[in-house]
Amino acid sequence: MEALELRDVRKSYGEREAVHGISLAVHEGEIFGLIGHNGAGKTTTLRMISTLLTITGGSISVFGHDVATEPEEVRRIISYLPEDAGAYRDLTGRAYLNFMAGFFATGAEKEAMVARGMELADLGERIDSKVDTYSKGMMRRLLIARAIMPNPKLAIMDEVTSGLDVINAYEIREVIRGIAATGVTVIMSSHNMFEVDMLCDRVGMIDQGNLILLGKPADLKAEYGVDTLEEVFVRAVKG
Amino acid sequence: MSHITSIMKKELREMLTPGSVISVVIMVVLFAGLGMMINGEVEKAASLPTIGIVAEEDAAYYTYVDEEGVTQEWNPVDYLKYIYGDYSDRIVVLNVSTSATDSEIIEAMQSQGVTSAVVFPSASDFRASMDSDTAVTVKQLYVYQPTGMFGTVSTSAVTTVLSYVNSVMSSILIYEGGYDDYEFITNPVVYSTASTGTYVNGEVRTGISPDSITNTVTSQTLMIPLVIMIIIMMVGSIVISSMGSEKENKTLETLLTLPIKRTSIVAGKIIAAAIVGLAYGLAYLLGMSLYMGSMASMYSSTGTTVDLSSIGMALDLVDWFLVLVSMFLAIVCALGICMILGAFAKNYKSAQTMTMPLSILAMIPMFIIMFSGWYGAGTVLQAVCFIIPFSHPMIAMQALMYGDVTLVLEGVVYMAAFALVTILITVKLYSSDILITGLGQNKYFQKLTGRK
Repeated sequence: MEALELRDVRKSYGEREAVHGISLAVHEGEIFGLIGHNGAGKTTTLRMISTLLTITGGSISVFGHDVATEPEEVRRIISYLPEDAGAYRDLTGRAYLNFMAGFFATGAEKEAMVARGMELADLGERIDSKVDTYSKGMMRRLLIARAIMPNPKLAIMDEVTSGLDVINAYEIREVIRGIAATGVTVIMSSHNMFEVDMLCDRVGMIDQGNLILLGKPADLKAEYGVDTLEEVFVRAVKG
Repeated sequence: MSHITSIMKKELREMLTPGSVISVVIMVVLFAGLGMMINGEVEKAASLPTIGIVAEEDAAYYTYVDEEGVTQEWNPVDYLKYIYGDYSDRIVVLNVSTSATDSEIIEAMQSQGVTSAVVFPSASDFRASMDSDTAVTVKQLYVYQPTGMFGTVSTSAVTTVLSYVNSVMSSILIYEGGYDDYEFITNPVVYSTASTGTYVNGEVRTGISPDSITNTVTSQTLMIPLVIMIIIMMVGSIVISSMGSEKENKTLETLLTLPIKRTSIVAGKIIAAAIVGLAYGLAYLLGMSLYMGSMASMYSSTGTTVDLSSIGMALDLVDWFLVLVSMFLAIVCALGICMILGAFAKNYKSAQTMTMPLSILAMIPMFIIMFSGWYGAGTVLQAVCFIIPFSHPMIAMQALMYGDVTLVLEGVVYMAAFALVTILITVKLYSSDILITGLGQNKYFQKLTGRK
């Protein structure tokens, strides 16, 4: 069974079709990257997988559960981290993790989940500071910890390192690598081809709502005879 | 200068959105309507009221010889029609005898459509009193009609009319001469609060004028619509801002992907806000009751109020419970509307402008109830008030004082249905794309605006 399967997925906003029949599969335990320029349909696709948006055509299944007919089952095994997401500003980092863990577990299990979240966030004493005092990097670490601590089967991350400095981006990539090593399947979108090249087992390139390329970064580079994914993308788009 | 102009233009573009302009236009229309409403109420209060008369229409109440030696017969009905002049049709002779009981007179007043009446004794009794130098006591009877701030039953018009009657009789007696009782000849016809009866809550209450009831009820309920409006606007603003803030911080997206039912999210948000709203409501009511207590003592010291419990108008525990239920349901309705409006807010700023429709909806009944009162408002205004759920707690207290439990219960049922529908719509919205994409990406909205 595939971790994630998209079959001829379409999404229309009124008369405008934003996603034109994407089909792909993500294997269990792999890190899959969705790349494409702004407005290509990456976020829309991730939101459909996360049950946030309805699907106009086709189907999506997460570990065998259809997102349209079994959304609640899907939500139990996924974790979605939106681009530029925030946390409740009046809470401390610890209180935020505690609040979120409450939706997944109770008692000792919940406490263990919060402890794991705090370890992943690695915010030291600042875990007890109010969230609105956090820097962008700290906020991102807290949110990734929130997304990972319930031990989801599929982690969905939209532009996870967008706007972060080199150190923070590096550390977050390490966290993603670490969770994938524990068997969590990750699907992430990014503008950063370098990041995707380093991190992802396979990538899918989306352009104007169409999946134009799918494969391992090394295979795609070899196919186009170039050194970087960026060059692959430019050639694939411009022909 | 050009830099200032550029910045100014940008600011104006941001501030003068269609939403803000429409809101201002609605406010202008609302205040114009309010002005007309106040004017109408003031005119109604200032106009000559129709007065019912209980008297023997063709009998001579007093006979005297005038300066030209002609014998004149004085009759109160003829005299009152004379002083009403062109409006003499507003003097209505009631179809009851002068010996009728108060209840029979009230029945006649109701069947002949008058709310105030002057009850004279029989012509023979009147004459006998005059002949024995005894002042005649004329009774005033009123059918109490609940009204708004300006619409009071004009007892002053009735007492003015009676002062004319007294004055003319006094003039006749002085003209005739031969009386040495100064007190009698200056006041041959007397009227007082003691000889006043008001029909309220199914009984004639002696010694109570409708003005004193209106003063008491108004002093205790006048601020209620204002308080309800403030609570609705405050609670609405909290919920819409929370929705806007959740969208801006994208915490809503996270929340919607957690393993929780949409109904749980909606219910959690609404119940929390309703508790806050009710707490505000109770705090305001506490403040109000202190205010009302001081107002009541002020009025009672001037003797213009009545003890509502003595006339069956005081609220009991069940009534207060109904007021609280009405207020709670109005808050839930407001929250339901806010959750729907908040679903369309893109961010915190746009959420702020979304509160405007709610504020307008809360202000319309407030103005109507404060100035006209539910019972003084016409059918159209009553229909407008009934449709807007926030009107019902504004009406409830007065309605319960008048024993109109049916109106309050109808309001409670209506609000419960309204709240349920708004909650169902909210749950539906929480399961749709609109919450994430906003209205712009909705196919119906696109068709409506022609945008893609």
